Parts: sequence; structure tokens; C-alpha cells
Amino acid sequence: MEFFVVSLLNGVIHGLLLFMVSAGLTLIFGMMGVLNFAHAWFYMLGAYVGFTLTRTVGFWAGLIAAPLIVGLCGVLIERYMLRRVHRYGHTHELLLTFGLAFIIEEVIKLFYGDFPVNYAMPPYMKFAAFTLYETNYPFYRLFIGGVALVMFAVLYVLLTRTRVGIIVRAATYRPVMVEALGHNLPLVFMSVFATGAALAGLAGAVAGAFFPTHPNMAVDFGTLVFVVVVVGGLGSLEGALVASLMIGLFISFSAGLNWSLADLLTVVGLGGWAREVGGLLTLQLSTVAASMPFLLMLLVLLIRPAGLFGERQ
Amino acid sequence: MLRSGQIGVGVLVGLLLVLPLVLTPNLMNAAIKMMIAGLFALSFSLAMGQAGMLSFGHSAYYGLGAFATLHLMRAVEGSLVSWPTPLLPLAGAAAGFLCGVAFGWLATQRTGVYFAMVTLALAELLFTLAPTWNSVFGGEAGISTMRMNSWSINFASDTAVYYLTFAWVAVSTWCLWAFTRTPMGRLALAIRDNEHRVRFLGFNTHRAKTLIFATSTMFTGVAGALLAIANEATNYTIFSAQASANVVLQTFIGGAGTFFGPALGAAIMTFFARMTSDLTRSWLLYQGLIFVIVMLFVPDGIGGLISAHARRLGTTAVRHLILPYLLCGVVGALLAVGVVFTVESVHVVMSDAYLVLRRANEGALVPYPLFGRTFNPLSAWTWAIPVVSILAGAALLPLARRLAQRGWSQALQERAA
Repeated sequence: MEFFVVSLLNGVIHGLLLFMVSAGLTLIFGMMGVLNFAHAWFYMLGAYVGFTLTRTVGFWAGLIAAPLIVGLCGVLIERYMLRRVHRYGHTHELLLTFGLAFIIEEVIKLFYGDFPVNYAMPPYMKFAAFTLYETNYPFYRLFIGGVALVMFAVLYVLLTRTRVGIIVRAATYRPVMVEALGHNLPLVFMSVFATGAALAGLAGAVAGAFFPTHPNMAVDFGTLVFVVVVVGGLGSLEGALVASLMIGLFISFSAGLNWSLADLLTVVGLGGWAREVGGLLTLQLSTVAASMPFLLMLLVLLIRPAGLFGERQ
Repeated sequence: MLRSGQIGVGVLVGLLLVLPLVLTPNLMNAAIKMMIAGLFALSFSLAMGQAGMLSFGHSAYYGLGAFATLHLMRAVEGSLVSWPTPLLPLAGAAAGFLCGVAFGWLATQRTGVYFAMVTLALAELLFTLAPTWNSVFGGEAGISTMRMNSWSINFASDTAVYYLTFAWVAVSTWCLWAFTRTPMGRLALAIRDNEHRVRFLGFNTHRAKTLIFATSTMFTGVAGALLAIANEATNYTIFSAQASANVVLQTFIGGAGTFFGPALGAAIMTFFARMTSDLTRSWLLYQGLIFVIVMLFVPDGIGGLISAHARRLGTTAVRHLILPYLLCGVVGALLAVGVVFTVESVHVVMSDAYLVLRRANEGALVPYPLFGRTFNPLSAWTWAIPVVSILAGAALLPLARRLAQRGWSQALQERAA
């Protein structure tokens, strides 16, 4: 029971963090068709901006400034780089963001060194929210989850209940028609890209204070955010939330379970044979936890490529 | 009559044949890695450039080729089977082809970004499984073995490995080129341009794409096998998304639209990485900058640039371009000096060693060593170097562009007349 509750809580929080990083990506992807490879690197950039400002101005200032600064980077990248290569196709856009990811990571290494930095939350936030089976559950984890939920709510209302949201959603499906109706489509694209980047930056500033902030934190998330976007369905915010939670829970539960394919085969009486064969059949779920998201992504792509909440276009 | 392309290939082959006579061991090793990278990029570009399938997981077949070869080498070493060393890459080819058929059958059901995602997922699955699957991939340490001598060739020497690699790369390159001339190769181009129409004409495009993908992965397997033979070891990191991305990067720097461009890009970038990684720790930054600049300003890559010149200009018309291109070179050099000086200065000033130095001098900004000299961070002269070179480069850039454009139009006019 203790394992179940703790895994559930950690999985949900991890999933919500994943959602914060991938929410922007799914918007960008769904709308502009740009597979922004650098998205997880925006997350890292947010964490480092947060770290720098925490040292000089303060934690909360960092939390507010990080999304603004990262969003500004997004504006510059969209305006002066992506727009330039747009006419060569999506592959070029993807590869450009890939190169940018390289540059962001190396510039961070240049200034902060190739090791973790000491980015910590303010001491007054360092307390236990509640005690669970004699272990204290840190308040900050709940704070991360709370920020993610607020972010989801704001984005959801913005997209479904406001004029801006209508234009953005319309531009996803009929960009030419939206432009013909007199809306400034390049501006819409730029804003969506900047907002997406800013959201990742916010996620970085919030999560970096709890989880380690180091130059490899982007790579760890790099491909996982794609899994979320694909599984949830391109451009679907709800899909991204559900997929993030699923993957968060998947990882946190499979990390603690020692099941293997051999155990499954025991049910049909083939357990002995499976253990003799060994190899893949006796690998425990806990050791292959990292592979599970990709297996899920593969299955979704092959069975339902539009994703859980995506619409077939 | 020989065409310039054929002459170029002949010269290249001749050069590569005599190269080991003059190379130092370090450069010999670099040459081997460059040829392998070139083959990898060529085989990747069969799927990407010819059939339009952007694979984001080609490292999977590269790695599988390498592991298959290493297992065969271990079996030979343990006298379980007898297999001549020069034919070892066949194991890599078989592994690449079989996995290419299986994975390709799955992946080619999707197109575009979804195809890329399936290939990425497959490669990431291998990358995450390999370190835990000891019996096949040797855990995190990987597996290693020794090259055996066969056919009375001593494979302990680098020269033998060089010629073995060269032979396989040459034959594979010829096969890949010949493939583009077969009906299947033409079909690949047709599928890239309009898959719907090809299907309408009665072709089974799924089967064709699977076969094209598997052909590509087969030669990727050969490249992996050659790497395994050269290194005598490998581990799970060969499957990383970084490795897959590298080949995409090299292919596009070289030019995905041309046949030899990807090999050129791969060879140049491999050489660049090898040379600069010894000199500076920021070499990945420079690599990223080069890549972004190529994507922004040379979207057809180096190969595209060369073929545009070869196709549209005569040899005599090139003289109009010599001066403008010299100026472009000066502009590039000025900008590069500014950027490199800034990056390396930041690197030194932000390092721990400099921090210790500052503490010893009570926090003062003491002069820092760079390029065998010392620079005072507070002196205007130090700042003048990057500022002046970047400003000069930026000021000359429009002029260089205008001159290059004028040179081009003059050259084209002369050609037309």
C-alpha cells in the first residue's frame, strides 16, 4: 500500500512536470507543424535563468523573469531563424532547432561549467506538506504540481473561451483562411512559439529548484517530450496532460516492480521455459522502466497515429 | 569522353589509395573514421535524399551492425566458427538488412514526421534496453574483441584496416550509386515526389519503401561493422539519439539533394570534430554554430553549392567569382576570429583555474592566458579584437554579397553568350 500511494503521488507530480514542459511543444507542433527539437533545451534555459536570478535578485523574481526571457529567445528564434527556413520545409525547421539545442547546451556549459549548479528553493518553502508512512512529503513537489495545474487551467480557458484562442485554434486547421480574414498569421505563429518557449522556461525555473539543475537535464527530457506529444495527439492540450500523467505513472510504478515476461508466461505454464531462455524474457520491469515510454509511443504510432486525443487530419 | 564527375571520382580513389603512405597514425585513424562516417551518411541519404524518408533512428542499424560483427569476431576468436576477417562486414550487412526489413515494415506504414517518430522510438527502445540486456549487448561496458589475421594479412596494423575499410566503402558506395540507377532507385524518387500517384500506377509502395529502407540500413550495417572492426569494441551509446542526429546533421551540411554531398559533409564534420576536440572544449558549440549557419544560409548544403556551380557555370566563367569569393573568405575569417576569441575568452575567464587565480589576487581581474599569450580583461585592446573583427566582418558582408551576385550574373551572361 505504501508503495502504491508513494508511487502514485510521485508519478502524478512527475507527470505534471512533464506536462509543463510538453504543453508548449504540443501547441507549436499542432499549429506550426514545427517539431521543435530544442524545446527541452528551453526548459533547461529556464532553470539556468532562474538560478542566475535567484542568486542576484531573488527566487520569485527569477520565477517571473525566466519565462519572459526564454519567451524572448523564442521570439528571436522564430522571427529571425525559423521564418527564414520555413520555405525549405519542416525537415529544415526541425534540423535548425536541433542545431539550436546544441548551441544552447554548449553556451550554458561555457558559462556555468559541465556540472550541476546549486539552484535551491528559498528556505521557507523547504517543509513537509504532510507525513506519509513516516516519510515527510516535501511541499515543493505539490507546488510543482500546483503550478502545472494552474498552467493547464489558464491555457485551457485561453484557448477555448477567448477570442485569441479562437484565432489560434482556427490557424491550426485553416491557416490560409485565417490570414484571408485579416489576421496577422506570422504574428500568431510567433506568439505561439514564444508562449510555448516561455512555458518550458517556467517549468525549468520551477522544477530546477527541486530537481538537479545540470547541463544534461535537457537531454533527459529531450525525447520524452516527443513521446508525450505523440501519445497525447498533436496539438491537443488535454491529450498532453493525460499522456504526461500516464507516462509519469508508468515510469514511477515500473521503477518499483520486479515483474518480467517470464512471470507473465508462468500464468500459461511456460514460466520454466522462459527462465531457461533468459535474455529479454527475464528482464525485470524495473530495469527496463526507461524503455516503457518508447514502447508506448511505438504502439500509439502504429495503432492510432493521431494519438489519444488528436484528430485525424 | 570522360565527364568531370568521373575524373573527380578517379582522382579521389587514387588519392585514398596512396594516402596511407604519407599519413601519421593519428591521421590514419581519422581517415578511417571519415570513410566510415561517409558511408553511414551515404546509406542514410538513400532513405532520406532518394526516398524522402527522414529516419531519426539510423543509429539503431549502425549499432546492430557493429554488435553483430563483434559477436562474429568473438566467435572466430573462440574458434567456434571460421570466418575471414575481410568478410566480417557481411555480418553487419545481414544484421542491418534483417532489422531494416522488420523495423522498416513497421515504420514505412507512416509518412513524414510520424515516420521519423517511429524510427526514433525504435532506436530509443534499443538505446534503453541495451545497457540492461547483458547477454547480447554486454551491459553498460559493452563488448570487445580482437581482430584475427586471415588471408595472410596482418590485421594488427592500421594500414590493413585502412585498406579493408577503403575497399568496403568503395564497393558499398558504388552499389549505392548503382542502386539509384535501377528501376527500384527511380521508384524511390517517384515515391518521394508523389507517393499517391505511384500507388495509383499500381505499385505496392509499402513493400517498395520497406525494401528501400532495408537497403539503406544494410549499408548502415556495413558502416557499423567497419567501425566495430576498427575499434574492436562498442557499447550501448552507439544507439543514442545523438548518434542518429549526427548523421542527419552531416547529411544536411553536405547536402541531402546530391549523391556525394552527404559523404562530403560527414567526412568534413568528422575531421572537424577530431581536430577541434583536441584544441578546445567548446568544439560542440562551433559545430552547432556551423550547422545553424548552413541551415540558414546554405539550405542545399556544401554539395548543393558545388553542384550549382558545376552545373550552371563554365570553367572559364569562374574567374568572375574569384575576387568576390576571396572577399567572402575574408569576411568569414573576420567573423570567425571575433566569435572564437570571445568564446575562448569566456571559457578561460569562467574556468575554475581563473577563479583560483583571482582569489589569489584578492578578486582582481588579472590577465588571462589564451593562445599562448596573456590578455588583460580590463584593457580596451583586449575588447578591441573581437569587437573590431566582428564589426569589420559585418560591414564588409553586404559588399561581399553584392560583389558575389554581380560575379554570378556576369558569369551566367558569359555562359549564355
